[in-house]
Amino acid sequence: MAPGVTVVQLTDVTKRYQSGEGTIEALSGVDFHADRGEMVTVIGPSGSGKSTMLNVIGLLDTPTEGTVQLKGTDVTAFTEDELTEERRSVIGFVFQDFHLLPMLTATENVELPSMWDTGVDRRDRAVDLLRRVGLGDRLEHTPDELSGGQRQRVAIARALINEPDIVLADEPTGNLDRDTGETILEELTALKTNEDVAIVAVTHDDQLVAYTDRVVELVDGEVSA
Amino acid sequence: MAWRNLGRNRIRTALATLGVVIGVIAIASLGMTGAALQQQADTNLGSLTNEVSVSGGADSDVDGVTAAQLDDIENVVVDGAIVPQRSDATTLSTRSGDAQRVTVTGVTDAAALYETSAGRAPSRLRTGALLTDDTASDLGLEIGDPVEYDDRLYRIVGLVESDSGFGPGGSELVLPIDAVAEGDAEYDSVTILAEDGASATAIADTLEAEFNDEDDEELSVSSFASAQEDVDNFLNTLNLALLGIGSISLVVASVAILNVMLMSTVERRGEIGVLRAVGIRRGEVLRMILAEAAFLGVLGGIVGGVLSIGVGLVVFDVLAGDRLLVFGWPSARYVVGGFGFAVGASVLSGLYPAWKAANDPPVEALRG
Repeated sequence: MAPGVTVVQLTDVTKRYQSGEGTIEALSGVDFHADRGEMVTVIGPSGSGKSTMLNVIGLLDTPTEGTVQLKGTDVTAFTEDELTEERRSVIGFVFQDFHLLPMLTATENVELPSMWDTGVDRRDRAVDLLRRVGLGDRLEHTPDELSGGQRQRVAIARALINEPDIVLADEPTGNLDRDTGETILEELTALKTNEDVAIVAVTHDDQLVAYTDRVVELVDGEVSA
Repeated sequence: MAWRNLGRNRIRTALATLGVVIGVIAIASLGMTGAALQQQADTNLGSLTNEVSVSGGADSDVDGVTAAQLDDIENVVVDGAIVPQRSDATTLSTRSGDAQRVTVTGVTDAAALYETSAGRAPSRLRTGALLTDDTASDLGLEIGDPVEYDDRLYRIVGLVESDSGFGPGGSELVLPIDAVAEGDAEYDSVTILAEDGASATAIADTLEAEFNDEDDEELSVSSFASAQEDVDNFLNTLNLALLGIGSISLVVASVAILNVMLMSTVERRGEIGVLRAVGIRRGEVLRMILAEAAFLGVLGGIVGGVLSIGVGLVVFDVLAGDRLLVFGWPSARYVVGGFGFAVGASVLSGLYPAWKAANDPPVEALRG
């Protein structure tokens, strides 16, 4: 681990949860890290624990065992409110289903994570980000007026509004056709350099592998190779 | 944000708001009706509350008040005008053939008892007469005209207001006390005029103590002050009961809002999950949803309040004859109260859905 460069570090992380048939171990002793300026792709068959791992990295879930460190700080035992703060300022999310709010315009959707911050106006940054992802002429459109690829680009811009250190993408090209998927991946690649962020993408689309700096394979909750 | 969320399903929002509107109208209108009734009762009874009426008691030997009893009364009552009376009835007729039945009251101190709309009421009535103004106009009589009673003529010196007193004005002819013959006792009744309702009640109590005990009622003492108090108490209770019923409709509206808010947050589960994932705090989500509920209450409260004032204008016009009274505080406070209740009830209804949504783990919300 290189201090100042490593954004997130998982050490010996195990995640177990109760289900109808008993206890399921989604992650077993997983070690993982992601540095600034690199894109790491996590691949694996469905059920391998990829989504769980992304949730743990994204502080949406806490590990049963092991530690999670964000920018050098151990956040494993943080309270819900503390975790929320970290998500707000350090992490950006891009989801497979885009998850934009239907009654807000593109600009408002991008501003969303900062909307509750009093005294802060991120409108200029929102407009700038939308321009950079090529949506300068769609600022006032609502999601139903945008194509799938455009919506994902809005989601990417939203992920960047609070100047995060890491962007997490869950199947970012899952709902897009090949060409649009390529555009999005180029977008993300430009991001990691220009914004100096770490990108962790979870996918089973080989397309991503071509753009990625490092591949981590998860099988049955364990990292292989 | 809250406003836009409500706008997404306008019909649902409108229906929930309608429930609040009806609740507010119910409370405010019932409250204002009660206030109007009370206003009217005060007006009608108000002019009588400072009077104490004394007449022959159930166990008295005579049907009336004797001179001796009057002396006692004058000794005991120091702060009021004491007016002994004799009563009779007669038919007044005019040359043109009109006739009307009138009660005849014989007094000396007419000034203490009567308000004149024309002419004067002497405090020592010796030769003139007073007539109620409605009767006078019915019979075509004016000040200065003569009236006949018991084969004697009396000149009208004043006209008495017909609608002083409770109920529709009676027809009354007021004559000097000696013009009316004695009944069973020297006087048929005695009216005492006190300063206000409180002193009237005090005087009535004093007279009761002086003349009556448990099994012997020498004089019948009644004062309208206690009657008015009884009426006031009754109206108060009635008002509270009506408000209670009106409140039920607002409770029903709250249940509707609870339902609407629950449905809306369940529908938006994924969105709320996204908000939480991108770092919106639980408290901020809670406040957003509470704001939606509060908006429903405020919107319904305002519309309901305005409509209630409309209802109030009609109510006050019909019951109290003065529609502007609806803006006075005794009536307006129900509109304000209805509005406050609406907003409060709406926010309360929103608490559970808001809390539930805010504490929904984002991982689950995003999955579903």
